[in-house]
Amino acid sequence: MSKTFDRYASVILFIVGIGIIMESMKISESAYGSNVGPNIFPMGLGIILVLLCIRLFYETFRYPSGEQTKQALDVKRFLLILGAAVLYAWLLETVGYVITTFLFLLFAFQVMQRGEWWKSVLIAAVFSYGIYYLFVEVMDGTLPGFPVWFQ
Amino acid sequence: MSTLQYLLDGFAVAFQWHNLLFAFFGVLIGTAVGVLPGIGPMSGVALLIPVTATLTNGLEPSAAATSAIILLAGVYYGAMYGGSTTSILLNTPGESSSVVTALDGYQLAKQGKAGSALSIAAIGSFAAGIFSLIGLTLLAQPLSNVALSFGPADYFSLMLLGLCAVSGLAGKSLTKALIMTVLGLFLGTIGIDVVSGVARFTFDLPILYSGIEFLTVAVGLFALGEVFKTILENDSTDAPIAKIGRILPSKQELKQSAGPIARGSLLGFFIGVLPGAGATLASFFSYITEKKLSKHPEKFGQGAIEGVAAPESANNAASGGAMIPLLTLGIPGSGTTAILLGAFIMYNIQPGPLLFSDHPDVAWGVIASMFIGNVMLLILNLPLVKVFAKIISVPVKYLLPIIVAISFFGVYAVSFSTFDLFLLLGCGVLGYLFAKHDYPVAPLVLSLVLGPMIENNMRRALTISNGDFTVFLTEPLSLIFLIIAALWMLIPVILKKRGKKVIVNEEG
Repeated sequence: MSKTFDRYASVILFIVGIGIIMESMKISESAYGSNVGPNIFPMGLGIILVLLCIRLFYETFRYPSGEQTKQALDVKRFLLILGAAVLYAWLLETVGYVITTFLFLLFAFQVMQRGEWWKSVLIAAVFSYGIYYLFVEVMDGTLPGFPVWFQ
Repeated sequence: MSTLQYLLDGFAVAFQWHNLLFAFFGVLIGTAVGVLPGIGPMSGVALLIPVTATLTNGLEPSAAATSAIILLAGVYYGAMYGGSTTSILLNTPGESSSVVTALDGYQLAKQGKAGSALSIAAIGSFAAGIFSLIGLTLLAQPLSNVALSFGPADYFSLMLLGLCAVSGLAGKSLTKALIMTVLGLFLGTIGIDVVSGVARFTFDLPILYSGIEFLTVAVGLFALGEVFKTILENDSTDAPIAKIGRILPSKQELKQSAGPIARGSLLGFFIGVLPGAGATLASFFSYITEKKLSKHPEKFGQGAIEGVAAPESANNAASGGAMIPLLTLGIPGSGTTAILLGAFIMYNIQPGPLLFSDHPDVAWGVIASMFIGNVMLLILNLPLVKVFAKIISVPVKYLLPIIVAISFFGVYAVSFSTFDLFLLLGCGVLGYLFAKHDYPVAPLVLSLVLGPMIENNMRRALTISNGDFTVFLTEPLSLIFLIIAALWMLIPVILKKRGKKVIVNEEG
């Protein structure tokens, strides 16, 4: 258990809870034919969340102060792949499914382990075009196709 | 019509050639999902929803729903079969429900008996699957008849009971589990309120009007969270895979496992029916029971065939049992059944007591297909287990990016918005952080699915009672459910206070 993480989480979620209560005060209090408005349920949730966060914050003081086992995290690799995924999401609609998926996979394969370029290119190409072909041509689904300048 | 007649009609639906194909692909993919360590039944089912949605495009709504659920349910119980393979061969459970199988299964594999351990696991899974299906068939109609008399207040309390049960057993800290439940319920309120038409928590962003897509959240928290964890912590296994050897078990091994299979099925089924306690707890309990009953408890952990037979039967029986509250009451008791419920709702079919009277073809078609699916799984798993074992050696470096790509595809094919892709990535990061710090994510997904229904029933009950909140306590059934819910939360806390070890259920 990480004391710091739980403290941050409880403070952030506490603020979220307050936000929920404030926002639900703005929601209309009545609905047609009923005196129970759409505000009651979220309001209740906000109050419970705030109470639970206070409880969690209090609990963090009672954690046994044991040794933290530090784990070596491969942050660089993670950030590279996450960054690539963000770009992938960003460009999906403008550049099209096949190209973005191919590039994302190729990049991610190489980040995971360098080398074996041919295999990476082949798997990325088969996957990206294979999914597109199966989904769009065979099953009549919709995915962003190729960009105009590519055709 | 009698239950038997309904079941035969269900078989007529399930034996349509396309439904046979759906069942086959469901159990095939399910076995693969069970074998692959990166994906659990929950993310497997979630990832396949968009694919099934497109596959069933041309069919009429209820037939489409039947076929889709047949496939998705196949993935669910198929994963229970596949999970044992890696436990036995690699000592790495592919599924949390197969953790205890590894204890004895891997020892057996080391002694060169991997083949018989795998086949006993498959036979036990089959027997348990059929047993729990018979239970489902017999209980479905009477239970849904009882549920028909429930009023809104009863439903509200029953769903609350389901949520309490899941969060009471999930993770190490009850406070954290409850926080996750409340967050899930809150996410469910975002969007246009269906009763009054008022926009809530949308901040005038049109993208939020239709609410948060549960599929995006589920795939992000489970599939991507798991992928990010593997990337960050670099915990890929390079252990040698044990040789399988002779596949058929000996007569003596069959005789030894008959009892454990029967007890595991029974125990697993009843644990599966309970909300919150799923396949993991079932396999755990049945293992302990067998160890207590055995004349040679010292053999457990050293490679006892009973130690494979019992938990593998129990987790399959539990997955069948978990379908009962889902189909008859419309209340999922676990993460995976919550996702199945979401799939039903996507097809505009509400599971619950009315399912059996409004859409008998859907309900009984799915039940009948599960019988067929179990037979397929037995055939797939006995002779072909060597083929499936090959899947284990798929290198992680290819697997992880492909899982990311599949989840992108799945989410985009359902929502058609890049907003959902960013939400997906955000949920993935959060899913990793939450899971790492013991915040259980299953209650969040469950409450996201149940949230709108809970709110509707609460408001209907309060409207009938003119805003009087005591209605939940004066309705007898509702009061009973609330008391059980409170007990479910309090008993583990009291047990912990007295220094007893409480088993937690970490599964999807």
